[in-house]
Amino acid sequence: MNETKALASLALFAVGILGGVVVHTLLDKGPAENPYPALPKIEEPRAAHDVVAAIGADDAQSLSRLIDSSMLTELDAALQPIIDVRTTKFVGAVESEGRLLSAYVVTGKTTDGIDFVVGFVLRVANDVVVGVN
Amino acid sequence: MVGIRRLFAGSLGTLLVGMLAGFVIASAAGIFIQDSGLFGASGESPVTRSYMLSLLKLDPSSMVGIRPNQSVVQRAAELQGADTSRNTSSIQPLSLTYMGGATVGSYSVHIYAVDLRSAEGVDQFFPLALTVFGGKVVRRE
Repeated sequence: MNETKALASLALFAVGILGGVVVHTLLDKGPAENPYPALPKIEEPRAAHDVVAAIGADDAQSLSRLIDSSMLTELDAALQPIIDVRTTKFVGAVESEGRLLSAYVVTGKTTDGIDFVVGFVLRVANDVVVGVN
Repeated sequence: MVGIRRLFAGSLGTLLVGMLAGFVIASAAGIFIQDSGLFGASGESPVTRSYMLSLLKLDPSSMVGIRPNQSVVQRAAELQGADTSRNTSSIQPLSLTYMGGATVGSYSVHIYAVDLRSAEGVDQFFPLALTVFGGKVVRRE
C-alpha cells in the first residue's frame, strides 16, 4: 500500500515536472522577427584575438605593445566595473565594407568581489585593432 | 471524507511542486542551451531584440517595459529627442546583426552590430553591447 502511494506520488511529481516544462515552453517567446538583414559571421581577426588573449592572460606588458594609450583608456572603460578578469570569450565577428567588428564577453570580479559580465567590441581594419567599443 | 480531502490536497501539492521544478529546470536548460549555442540556438534575448528594434525605429515609448523606470520628465525629454530625430535626421537601418552574448548569474550581455545610413547618405557601422538584469536593459554601450 505504502509502495503504491510512493509510486503514485513520484508519478504525480513527474507529471508536474512535465507540466512545468510545457508551461515554460508556452510562455517563453523567442525574439521578435528581425526586419533588417543580418550580416554573415566571420572568423575571429588575429589582431583582435591577440589583444583579448593578453587580457585573459593578465599580461599587461603584451597589451601595452598591442594597442595605443587612447585604446587602452577605451578598453579600461569598456571593462568597467570588472577589475579582475576571469574569462574571456569570443562571441562573433562581422564585416561590412572592410570594417570588422569582433565581439567579446568578459567575466570577472568587481572591486566589491561581485561576479560580473561585460561585453566589448574591437574594431579591426587592415589586420590592426583600430578601436574599442 | 477528510481522508479523501487530505489525499487530494497532498496530490495537488506534489503536482504543483513538480510543475515549479519543471519550470525552473526548463528555464535553466534554456539559458544553458542559449549560451552554448546547442541545437542551433543563437542565444539572443527577446528583450534585447525588442530594445534594438525600438532603438532603430526611434520609438522610445516601446522600450518602457524593458528598461529601468524613468521619471516623467526624463521620458518626455526622450520622446522630444526622438521626435526631433525623426523629423530632422532620418536614418535608414541597413542591417542588424546579433553577434553573441553570455550570462553570469542574473546578468547577461548581448552584443549587436548595426549598419545604418544617415540622411546625408553616410554609412555608419557600430556595435552595441546591452546588459540585461531582471528582464530589463540596464546598461548600453
